[in-house]
Amino acid sequence: MMENNIIVSSRIRLARNLKELAFPSRMTKEEFQKLNLAVKSAIMESNTPFAKTLKYIEMDSVPETEIYAMVERHVISPEFARKCAGKAIVLSEDESICIMLGEEDHIRIQVVKSGLSLEKCYDIAERLDTLLCDKLHFAFNSQFGYLTACPTNLGTGLRASVMLHLPLLEATKQISLISESVNKIGFTVRGIYGEGTSGEASLYQLSNQITLGISEKEALGNLTTITEQIIEKENDARASADKLALEDSVFRSFGILSNARKLTSEELMKYLSLIKLGASMGILDIDNNLPDKILVMGGPNMIMRKYGIMEPVERDIKRAELVRDMLTKGKTNEI
Amino acid sequence: MMCENCGKNPVTTHIKKVVNGISTEKHLCAACAKGYGFSPFKSNTFSGILSSMLGEYNEPKNTKQCACCGSTFNDIVNSGKVGCAACYEKFGEELLPYLKRLHGNVKHIGKVPNASPLAVATVNDRINALRAELNLLIKNEEFEKAATVRDEIRKLESQVNSNDGE
Repeated sequence: MMENNIIVSSRIRLARNLKELAFPSRMTKEEFQKLNLAVKSAIMESNTPFAKTLKYIEMDSVPETEIYAMVERHVISPEFARKCAGKAIVLSEDESICIMLGEEDHIRIQVVKSGLSLEKCYDIAERLDTLLCDKLHFAFNSQFGYLTACPTNLGTGLRASVMLHLPLLEATKQISLISESVNKIGFTVRGIYGEGTSGEASLYQLSNQITLGISEKEALGNLTTITEQIIEKENDARASADKLALEDSVFRSFGILSNARKLTSEELMKYLSLIKLGASMGILDIDNNLPDKILVMGGPNMIMRKYGIMEPVERDIKRAELVRDMLTKGKTNEI
Repeated sequence: MMCENCGKNPVTTHIKKVVNGISTEKHLCAACAKGYGFSPFKSNTFSGILSSMLGEYNEPKNTKQCACCGSTFNDIVNSGKVGCAACYEKFGEELLPYLKRLHGNVKHIGKVPNASPLAVATVNDRINALRAELNLLIKNEEFEKAATVRDEIRKLESQVNSNDGE
């Protein structure tokens, strides 16, 4: 289905804080330890499947390359990566569940799944929230709901988002228009690495901004409706685009990525976006998820994680090798 | 349209003032609007909205301090972040207009922590009060109003029940 190719993934984030500690910007080293231990024991000593499937990881034990590779895989936020000394995460094996401890709030429960799966993600996040809530004392009041470090998250503490691939809306310069109009109704469109980033590989994140005075269910419902409308617009733009010109750019991109001997991140993103478009429109015979996988694997830190620390120039060579390999395999697998 | 103050730059800010029922309008460029004390939001962030609103209203300095974490209201405005949970008690009133602007609402609906007897008790208290009101309305044969109150009670009860179920 066309829709599934435009929606890359769905993400739910719940922000929670403990009543007894100041928010992270005012916390001491000892207090971070206290927080880590409280959450660790609440999950690991619980009688739930989470105790077995989740792993507690102290960030001090993670090498720097891996920390930034985690950012490239969207497991942790860039903000958390920059200041993660003494902090910890609780992570599932497939990395779809990550609880960041001591980011902007004490607890950030994040659940990510591919395609449009907001409700499934929320269901998991909500169960984790309930589990933690049984053991810990969350900061909450009946007027403002869950109390958060930034008042933009006050209320439900829920940020729901979908990552969308919108190459045609980007090419026809409709993104800023859409961004403006969704802004007016309490939603925001931004680049893939979250706040303050631009759209790379034509990937955009659409998320709710209003969290106070709206129920979780309603917020998810509204986001789904807007997502459907944006998808319709992207499909319209795809249908009315010059077919030959489109095919030409798709095949040229494929040609470059399957032959290049040196590739920068920027080049990879630019051409991969067109290959993804080609795959989803049936122009290219490759697996639909392959471009997403290549995008993650081609990140600078993901490459260094695989091949060791190296200079950007060497990385570009390794990247080209990796992409060539993945693309040819992906193609033969399909045929 | 050009700025009616300097006539050099295009109009970006429209200011409508109603004083004692008399309305006046000004159409200014960004620089002149700033001179009048109206600056556009720096960004769509909380601190951007906070600082721009404070700029508009020129509020007197707030010297209150949170007993828990030591934050002042100025700290919150400058950082865009609240220091601790107790700050919301201390500065709740000051924050209300910004929250209203940010979310359009100032009252939480949605999930309530299941382990918070306080939150549930508040709902139950409200239900009890409404029940008393309902009895009174039925006694006075004000059935239309009674029906509204009954619906309100049902809504709250389902809220409590669904929280119990979680």
